[in-house]
Amino acid sequence: MDAVVKKIIKEVKKGDQQAFSELVELYKDKVYQVAYRMLGNSHEAQDIAQEAFLRAYTNLDSYDVNRKFSTWLFRIATNLAIDRIRKKKPDFHLEDHVAGTEDLNYYSQIATEEELPEEQVVKFEMQEWVQKEIMMLPPKYRSAIILKYMEDLSLKEISEILKLPVATVKTRIHRGREALRKRLRDS
Amino acid sequence: MACKNEYSILIHKYLDEEMTLLEKKKLENHIIKCKDCEGHMRELRKTVAIVQSASHIEAPINFTESVMNKLPKETNTNRWKT
Repeated sequence: MDAVVKKIIKEVKKGDQQAFSELVELYKDKVYQVAYRMLGNSHEAQDIAQEAFLRAYTNLDSYDVNRKFSTWLFRIATNLAIDRIRKKKPDFHLEDHVAGTEDLNYYSQIATEEELPEEQVVKFEMQEWVQKEIMMLPPKYRSAIILKYMEDLSLKEISEILKLPVATVKTRIHRGREALRKRLRDS
Repeated sequence: MACKNEYSILIHKYLDEEMTLLEKKKLENHIIKCKDCEGHMRELRKTVAIVQSASHIEAPINFTESVMNKLPKETNTNRWKT
């Protein structure tokens, strides 16, 4: 995987713009997922995920090839998402993801196998609950929880993405877990 | 609940999979006796399991195409985009 990515990056740097589409294909789902989980809305998620790839393309020269490309890309994406959250009105994200059309988009983009209707309902309700609760977390806990439990990254990788000491990442994950737990118990 | 903080740290260490054997033993021994800590740990494990169970979300169709259309135009080669 790393060798493939290195080769593609080399080609892009040599001026083969089309080679960049291979990088997008490789990472689009992961980047989109981070953006979606951070923002809770498919329109903004698409916007931020696309912007992340555009920034990666224009700043490819500043990428250190000895480091993991995905770490660098996730860093760009999480920074963009956090910037977007900061620019929002404080109540915006709480309300927005409940809106009917956004929910439709959200569900239509989740890859699901065919299931029995009642299983689907339970799953949808659970999905909705998870995203709603994630959105209630302060962004700094939210990013740590998403990277840890939805992207399945190690504490070390998360610390590189967020440019924070591992101990700080741990604290954020602990607090995020506790906040989610309390809400789960109260719900 | 004097135990709360000390064991809360241990519970999170457990969830981070960073426990020494000694700590693990200590937590196990405590949890058998302490309902509060047992409940705390059970709730946290459940929380983690729920978050982990969230479906993977895929990028929308045409995502790649859309990104490629937005890239700055190539300067030295043919301009294939409109």
